[in-house]
This record gives sequence, C-alpha cells and structure tokens, in this order.
Amino acid sequence: MSIIIPGDSVQVANSVALGPGVVCTRNRSVIPVTAGILEENSKSIHVESNGRRYVPSTNDYVIGTVTGSFGDAFRVSLSDFTFPVSLSAMAFPNASKKNRPNLKVGSLVYARVSSAIPEIDVEIECLDPTTGKDGGFGLLEGGYVFDVSLAYARTLLFNPNYPLLNQLVKKCQFEIAIGLNGKIWIKTDDLKHTLAAANAIKQCQLVPSSECSNVINSAFKSLSQ
Amino acid sequence: MAKGIETSANEKAFIIDALTQGVRTDGRKLDEYRDVKISLGSQYGSVDVTMGETRVLCRISSEIVAPYEDRPFEGLFTVSTEISPMASPMFEQGRQSDDELLITRTVEKAVRRSNALDLESLCIIAGAKCWSIRADVHLLNYDGGFIDASCIAVMTALQHYKKQDITVSGEQVLVHDFSERSPVGLSILHVPICVTFAFFNPHGVEQNIKGDAKEIYVVDPNMQEELLKHGILTVTINKNREVCQVSKAGGLPMDALTLMECSHKAFTIAEKLTNDIKKLIEEDDLQRKGSQWKMLSASNDR
Amino acid sequence: MESQTTVLTRVDGSADLVHGETRAIVSVSGPIEPKARQELPAAAALEVIVRADVGVADTREKLLENKLRSVLSQTILTTSYPRQLIQIVAQVLESGEDERYTCKEAASIINGSYLALIDAGVALQCSFAAESFAIAQDGEVITNPTPLDLRQSKSSHVVCYSIRDAKVDSLLFSDSIGSFTETQLYSVLARGTESVEAHHRHFRSTIEAKISKDFVWKLQ
Repeated sequence: MSIIIPGDSVQVANSVALGPGVVCTRNRSVIPVTAGILEENSKSIHVESNGRRYVPSTNDYVIGTVTGSFGDAFRVSLSDFTFPVSLSAMAFPNASKKNRPNLKVGSLVYARVSSAIPEIDVEIECLDPTTGKDGGFGLLEGGYVFDVSLAYARTLLFNPNYPLLNQLVKKCQFEIAIGLNGKIWIKTDDLKHTLAAANAIKQCQLVPSSECSNVINSAFKSLSQ
Repeated sequence: MAKGIETSANEKAFIIDALTQGVRTDGRKLDEYRDVKISLGSQYGSVDVTMGETRVLCRISSEIVAPYEDRPFEGLFTVSTEISPMASPMFEQGRQSDDELLITRTVEKAVRRSNALDLESLCIIAGAKCWSIRADVHLLNYDGGFIDASCIAVMTALQHYKKQDITVSGEQVLVHDFSERSPVGLSILHVPICVTFAFFNPHGVEQNIKGDAKEIYVVDPNMQEELLKHGILTVTINKNREVCQVSKAGGLPMDALTLMECSHKAFTIAEKLTNDIKKLIEEDDLQRKGSQWKMLSASNDR
Repeated sequence: MESQTTVLTRVDGSADLVHGETRAIVSVSGPIEPKARQELPAAAALEVIVRADVGVADTREKLLENKLRSVLSQTILTTSYPRQLIQIVAQVLESGEDERYTCKEAASIINGSYLALIDAGVALQCSFAAESFAIAQDGEVITNPTPLDLRQSKSSHVVCYSIRDAKVDSLLFSDSIGSFTETQLYSVLARGTESVEAHHRHFRSTIEAKISKDFVWKLQ
C-alpha cells in the first residue's frame, strides 16, 4: 500500500488512462492532486481516496431525492448542498409524452449518471441504455436511506468478497440499493431489522472487515432488547 | 427551514414510524438525553461541550468599560452565538436565518435575562467603571440541540472563569496580574439548563388541532429529528425547580399536562447536569490549586 | 505541533491544529453549490471565512482571510470544479498572540487549511506549509515566537512554501510587519525552509494516519 499526497511525483508510462486523483499539467507531467492510496497498472493510474463529497461521474449508480420538476424533467438532489441534477421524464423504460412517470417531491430514485460534464448540468436516467428496460433502476418505495463514505459505498457495490452483506443476510431478508454518492437504501420486513441493518452497515466503516459479524450481532442484539 | 438538506419522503415516513414504535434512529429511548461531555481548557473560561455529534465551544473574556448611563450600578454581559458554515453548510455566513435567530435568542434569554450572572457584582465605580463580561459561543458541529449545548457551555464557562483582581483607590483602578494576586471568580446566582423537546404528530398536524392526535415527543432531538419535527419546546430550569423560560415554536397547540410532564423531565436532567458541572469545576479548581501550592512551596524552601 | 483530521462530521473535511500557544480548527466544504453572485464560469469560487476566538470579526479577521485566500488560490486546482464553491472556515480557538500581531494565527490557519483540504479530498496542485517568525531586538530570529517574544520583537513574519517531494519548492506567501533589514528577511526565509519541511513531515504522518483510518474496513 503506497500512500501518496499532492506534491509527490509519480512515474507513468507513455499512454495510460488517468483516473480520479491524478491530473496532467500544462507542461505534460502527471501529478497527484488528492491524498490516498496510489493504484496503478499498465493501463491506468488513479489515487484511491475516501471522501465524503460526491462529484458526479458518468455511469455511476446513484440514489437521489426528487426535489421538484421543471418542464419535462425532474430536479434531483444527489447530496446535500450540491447542484441539483436533472432526470428527464423520458429517461424511464416505456416512457412517452403521455406515459409520464409519477414522481412526487421527496421520492427516492435509483439511477445511473448518463452525462457528467462539469461545465453543464449533470443528467441521470432510470433505465439500462443497452436494453431499454428498467435494469433495477427506478423509484425506491419505503425503506430507509442513510449516508456512508464514498470509498465504502464503492466497496459494498463492487467488491463481492467484502463479507458484510453475506453476513447480514443471515440475520434478515433485505432489499438494498447502493448509491456511489454515498447513499444506501435498505428495506426489510421489520422496521427494527431495517434500523439494525443500517446501523451495522454504518458501524462497519469503522472496523476491520474481520469484525463485521461482531458488529452485526451487537447491532441486532441492542434492538431486540 | 434548512437550506440545501433534502430529506426524502421515505426517510421521513421511516423515522416517524420508528418513533410511534418507540425507537429512535440513533438508538436512544424517547426520553433519553444524550451524554454530555464537558472538557475544560487550560485558560479560565474556555469550555468544550460535546453532545452526540453536536460540538460547542465557549470562551469568556472580560474588560473594564463604562456602564450604561441608565444602569450605573450594573456591569455588562453579552452572549454572542454567531453560527458559521463550519457547523453545517446550511448556515450562511453573515446572514442569520430564523432558526439561527431562535437559537441565539433562546440562549440569551436563558442565561442573561434569568440573571444567572450577578451584574451588580461587576460594578467597580458606580457610573464610571465596570466589568464587561463577554461569552463567545463557537458552534463547531451541528447535530441538533444547539440551544441545550450552548447553554451548558456558557454556564460551565462562567463558573470556570476567573478575572483579574482589582484594587480601587478613589478614581484609580489597579488591575493585578494573575501572578501578583490570585484571580477571582464570577458571582453566579443560579445555573439555568435548557432542555429541548421535539413534537411529532404521526397522523398529521390537523389531528392535533382536533385534539385526538397520538402526539409523540422526544427529548434532545438530533438534527434529523429537528428537521422533521412539527413543534419544538425548550424548557429552561434550574436545580431549585425554578422555570426560567418556556419557549415554544412551531404553532402546535399543547396540552397543559404535557407541559408539566416535560418540565418534570427537564428538571431531572437539569439537576444531574448541574451537579456534574459543579463536580467538574471543583476537580479542576483542586488541580489548579495543587500546582499553585507547588510553586509557593518552591519559593518557601529558600 | 499536534494535528488531527476529520474532527467534524457535517463538513467534508476538517482539521484541528495546535502549534505552540495557538490553536485553530479549519473546515472545508466543497465542491458545493455557490450563491449566484459567487459563481465563476470556469473555476471554483473560494469562500474564505476566518473567525476570531474572542469578539466579533472585524478588519483583523478580514486581513487574515485575505492572507489565507492568497495562499489557497495558488494551491487549490480551482479549474477542476467550474461553477462550484469551495468553502473554507477557519475558527481560531486560541490566538496565542496579542491583537496587533497576526503571524501565529496566519501560520496556523494556513497549516490547518492544508490538512482540512486534504481531508475533504479537494484537488491541490502541491502541498504547502507555513511558519511564523519574530526578529528580536538583538537581531536573533525566533521560530514560532511566544507572545512575550512577539511583544519584545522588532518585526514579525510569516512564510509559506509549496512542497514537492518533501522538499521546499517555491515561496507562496511571505508577510512581514515591523522594521528589518534585507539580510534579516533572507535569513527568515532560509530558516523557513527547514521548519516548513519539518512541518510537512509531521503533516504526512497525520495524513497517513487518516488514510489508514479511512480504509480500516478494506480487505488486505
């Protein structure tokens, strides 16, 4: 594990893709701009860091709250205090001018970032562009939503070896949506189970992965009292 | 309302549902006050208060000024609670929102208007010179309960603070340095403690007006609860069972019996906190005295 | 010097820094939505707020804000965040100097901002660190002077360097008040490089501790 901070120099091969945390300066040198763990291979280089402020990036799966609608689109908030993003009413499976999805202010949606250019408004969509079907996206009903750190959300979503969810399923049945904007939506049959599961997920951010099962057990125990 | 924070309908329904089942999202019971951690700084009158994730710092300072013309026998006391975006980006710099104003006013009323600090004891020469005591409250992290935490911080800091000793000869006031004469504490008449309650009407506010709402109230709401509450009540009480202030906002009608019940709960909390603060100050005093004695004995050895 | 990151939870990055008699806490939020009047089309706007430990903010705090801003606008990669806002709030908790000096507070809030920006993950072109100095009546250069040193000094200084590969790279900011000679200023600048590099080594260990805490759950 090599930790890198801004001002350190990195050696890169001639043609690599630059990921988050590294930029190419005007005089064509590559510099790290955030502190984190340097991850590089022959094709790409990036700095893995665990922030709390989400910056949208294309193809990210996110959870947003509908805050209003304008024209043919909904205004959606991905995190507190940031610019709202827009979700077109056409970006739903089988959507048409007449068949407009019914989203109220305060609804939660699971969506994919379809365009994220810093200079203009970010757009998200609730369908799988390859099939035109819902692909798991859309309105999230009921349940509870809470915040975790960004790198943790990435691990939960992409790393099948991370033991938390497999251990959690032994305690209760649940439905989960993980947003890369650090939001997690979870729904179980029982309110107390939902809360225990949410607390367990939050607390597992603070302990090594080997202790996940202990955290889950204590979270469920404290609620059954 | 808090600008920039969007609470989803799902979250709202979940939290209210949980409250009807007697569960809070942070695992507390409905009438459970958060643990208050108070730490005293190295300087007199510097106090750091943590309640859950809420963190408040208070600094007391003093100077000699001329008293107000219409109150020649009283000193000055000001409490400043400006909230910066450090506490949460929802607070704007330089512009006070209604919530902020309510926090500032309630703290001011609780501490200043209840005469917690004896202003007459701050008078040095009537009409000419008096002490001006200033409490700067820095709100560092917001997770609800700013009023409660600020009040605890100010009251602890006032009890902890010691100002320079003075000698008055005629019109001349001589201020003694800490090394010259041991500093003197402020005269505190009583210790008001604020306890905040948040009210929820799970079946809508209309039911409450009809009078058949199954109203729920929680003690010491956190930020999420403060954002979703229908009404809020702050009771300021001291350990002599004197209610100094009742501040109720949100427009919900309220039952007299509930108010009594809340006041009783507030009293138990206030009594415990007052005793905790007193113990903490005494321990700190003892520690400071201990180091002072060492200094004295070192010079006596010669 | 003692420093700690992620001390606050409502903001994106924060740091608590104690350096000698001075203590400051700095928070960073961003990139967030700016107010309409702050928005810049091609870069991030910086909102810098400095708050005094005692009393209301006045010209002295505005002066400190300007000093901090001049360092931050050179180091934050604002072009990465067009139309956004980066909000930096520095709260002095213990000033550790008389009201007519600002050097100790300036150095502490610059250093605190660096750690808070790193904690928030805001893109930086380089690392940076600052230190305060005083020149005594006999011409001696005092690093991180005490309040008494300052009162007896002829001049006070604060220097801030950018750092590349743990070595001082270029001078970002230098501010002096009082009377001093050219050679004295150069000796302050030279002394600055040493202490700034030492600070940077300390910051690096703080950051390493933060990162290992951030990724404590990571599979080995």
